[in-house]
Amino acid sequence: MDSIVLFLSLSIVLFGIGLYGLISKRTMLRMLLAAEINFNAAILALVALASQSPSPATGEVVALLATGIAAADVGILVSIAILMYRLKKRSDVYELKESRG
Amino acid sequence: MIPLDFALTLDSGTILFIVLAAVAVISAILVVEHKSLVYSALFLGILGMANAALFTLLGFNFIALFFVSVYIGAAVTFILFSVSMFEEAPAVERPVRIITLISVIVAAVVLAGVFALYFTGGIQPSYISYRVLASLLTEKYGFALIIAALTLVTTLIEAITIARKEEEK
Repeated sequence: MDSIVLFLSLSIVLFGIGLYGLISKRTMLRMLLAAEINFNAAILALVALASQSPSPATGEVVALLATGIAAADVGILVSIAILMYRLKKRSDVYELKESRG
Repeated sequence: MIPLDFALTLDSGTILFIVLAAVAVISAILVVEHKSLVYSALFLGILGMANAALFTLLGFNFIALFFVSVYIGAAVTFILFSVSMFEEAPAVERPVRIITLISVIVAAVVLAGVFALYFTGGIQPSYISYRVLASLLTEKYGFALIIAALTLVTTLIEAITIARKEEEK
């Protein structure tokens, strides 16, 4: 068995755990943390596949850009979550329905 | 193409992968299922560290370095401090101390394994030269780099805007 299968299997397991958290939780920050698990799984799969590529530098560049973008979206989501919690004293995502527009 | 077979041919490499994978999966489960959001964020950091070690195992040392410094050092720490504003961290009880002790031992074993692999030549150095990486990033993917930089600046502006709105109210 090739070792890339092990890395991809681990990536699938992590993605499944993140997906479970994303679906089953209602708290905004808990969903953000679950989405971050999904990001970790995706970046692991990307790097594992890039290591098998004829030009691994391309995969490395994409992984670097993806990590930077992930840091940016964490900033946005946590800011929104904090603002929402301060305004409504709750962080349930279903409260977002009332704050449209 | 990077030869990946060392993870399977070397016994220590395989053991290291198994330990790191176990740490990653247990951390991911605890991120989702732990009662305290503070500890969930902490376990997300541990998951990121395990992920970075797996990148090193694959031969991508620079990504591992970048991941630890940018993702764990900035993003996960930001989440951790933000979550601390939501709720008080529960007091450290006896089971938590035992878990902490086990975590320290596991971390020491993993680090010892990494250093042993490094000094015995098990871990391969990075196959990608930084010169190639820098030229690729600035020439071929220059536009994507600009977009990423603009995204980060936009995030900063948005965070400041949200904070100012809160001050006005």
